[in-house]
Amino acid sequence: MLREVLARQAAQMGLRPEAEASQPESPTPIQPAAQQMPAPPPTATQLEPPKTPLAPAEFQETEDPLSPAEARELAEFNQWAAQVVAPSRLPRTLTWFMLGVLGLLVLLNIPLFNGLALARALPDRQAFIIRDGLVLKGSGPEIYVLEDNTKRWISSLDAFEHYGYQWNDVHLVEDDFLNQFPDGRPLHVLLKCGASPHIYRLENDRKRWIKDIPTFEAEGHLWEDVRFVSCAHLRTIPDGPPIPPDAGSPPQP
Amino acid sequence: MSAPPAIVSQPVGLLGEMELLLRNRFRFFAEIRDGVDVPRKIRAMFLYSSLFLATFGAVIGSEHSVWQALASSVKLPLLFLITLLVCLPTLYFFNTIFQASLSLSQNLALLLSAVTMTAIVLLAFAPVTLFFLMTTSQYQFYKLLNVAIFAIAGWIGMRQLSQGMLMLTAHERRGARIRGRILQVWILLYAFVGSQLAWTLRPFFGAPGLPFELFRGLGGNFYTNIFASLGELFGFFTVR
Repeated sequence: MLREVLARQAAQMGLRPEAEASQPESPTPIQPAAQQMPAPPPTATQLEPPKTPLAPAEFQETEDPLSPAEARELAEFNQWAAQVVAPSRLPRTLTWFMLGVLGLLVLLNIPLFNGLALARALPDRQAFIIRDGLVLKGSGPEIYVLEDNTKRWISSLDAFEHYGYQWNDVHLVEDDFLNQFPDGRPLHVLLKCGASPHIYRLENDRKRWIKDIPTFEAEGHLWEDVRFVSCAHLRTIPDGPPIPPDAGSPPQP
Repeated sequence: MSAPPAIVSQPVGLLGEMELLLRNRFRFFAEIRDGVDVPRKIRAMFLYSSLFLATFGAVIGSEHSVWQALASSVKLPLLFLITLLVCLPTLYFFNTIFQASLSLSQNLALLLSAVTMTAIVLLAFAPVTLFFLMTTSQYQFYKLLNVAIFAIAGWIGMRQLSQGMLMLTAHERRGARIRGRILQVWILLYAFVGSQLAWTLRPFFGAPGLPFELFRGLGGNFYTNIFASLGELFGFFTVR
C-alpha cells in the first residue's frame, strides 16, 4: 500500500518511483513503435490527411471582418428584410402608369397636324446636324446641298432628282444661317461615256454638249463631277443647245 | 459569422415580386440568398425590366420618327440584357474563386434586380423626357439630358447591386475584402461594356435630318460623341 502511495506521489511529481526503477521491467504489452517494428498498413478509417506545409500567409484568404459601417448597414438591411410586405396598390399603380406613358406616346406620334405628329410638329423644332449632304433652302428659290463646309447650288430639277434627293430632305432655314456657308461649285449632272471624248451637261432632260476643256473649266466644272454612263443610254437622251450656244452641231457619243 | 435567419416566402405572382423589389428590396435579397423562388424572381425581373426599358426606348426614339421609336423599344432592352450576359460570367467566376458560395442563378437574380431597378427609374423619368421632347428644339441638349437620366438610373441600379451583394455574402467573410474590390472593378467593366454596346447598337434617339437607320456605321465612340455634344451645347464647336 505504501508502494502505491509512493507511486502515486511520484506520478504527480513526474518522477519514476525507485521501486519501479530497480525492478526489472515487467513485460508490458507490446506497443507498436515506429522504429521497432513496421506499422500495420492503415485502414481507410485510420487514414489522416497528409500534413502539407502551410502556404505563405499572403496566399491564404483570411476571414475579413465587417467594417463598422458595413455591420451597421447589414443590421439595418436584415431588420428591413424581416418585415413582411403587405399587399398594396403599387402593382396597379405601376401598371396604370406604364399604360399611361404608352398612351401618351401613341398620342404624340399620331399625325394630327398637317400630317406631322406632335412630337415633331412644333415650329421651333428646327435643330439638325450639320453634315455633308444636308439639303437647305432659304427664302429664295435656290436649293443648296452642303459639302465640305460650302453650299452647292443644285442647278436644275434634273440634278436634284439625279442625285437622289427628295422634297422631304429639304430643310427650310433662315437666310442668315445659309449665308454662313460660302458658295461652292454648282451641282450639275455631267455625263460622259467611255468610248467618247465628249462631255454633256444634263438640263431639262436634254444633253448639252460642252465644246472643249477651256469651256468646261470656264463653267466651273471639275473632272470629279463627271459621271460615266453607257454610250447607248447617252444616245437616247435628246440634244439641247451646246455650250457655248455657237459651238456648232453637237456630236453624238 | 453566423448566417442570418432564413426568410419564409409569401406566395405572390410575378407583379408581386416587383412590388417586393420596390417596397422592400432587402427582403427580396434575403429571399435570393436563401434560394426562395429564385427562378420566378428571374422570370419576373426579365419580363418587367424588358417592358419598362422598351417603353422608355419608345419614348426617346419618338423624337425622330415612329420607326425609330419602334427600333429603340427593341434595342434598349437588348442593350441592358446583352451587357448583363456578357459581364455575368466574370462576376460569377471571380466570386467563386474568392470563396463566395453564390450559385449562377443567384448571381443572375442579383444582377437582374439592378437592371430592373434601373429600368423602373428610367420609366419614372419618362414623363420628364416627354416634356422636353415637346418643348426643346436642341437635339444635343435632349440627348445629353437623357444620357444624364441614364447615368442616374444606372447609379441607383449599381448601388442596389452593392447592397444586395453585401446581404448575400455577409456570412462568408473569407475573401470578403477582395470580393468587394472585385465588385467595384466589375461595375466599371459593366459601364464600359454597356457604353460600347450602346455605341454599336445606335442610334437610339435618331439625329434630326438623317433618315431612319436601324444601325449606323461604326466609327468614333460613345465618349467622343458625348464630348462633341457638350462642345456644341456650350457653343465651342458644331457637331458635324
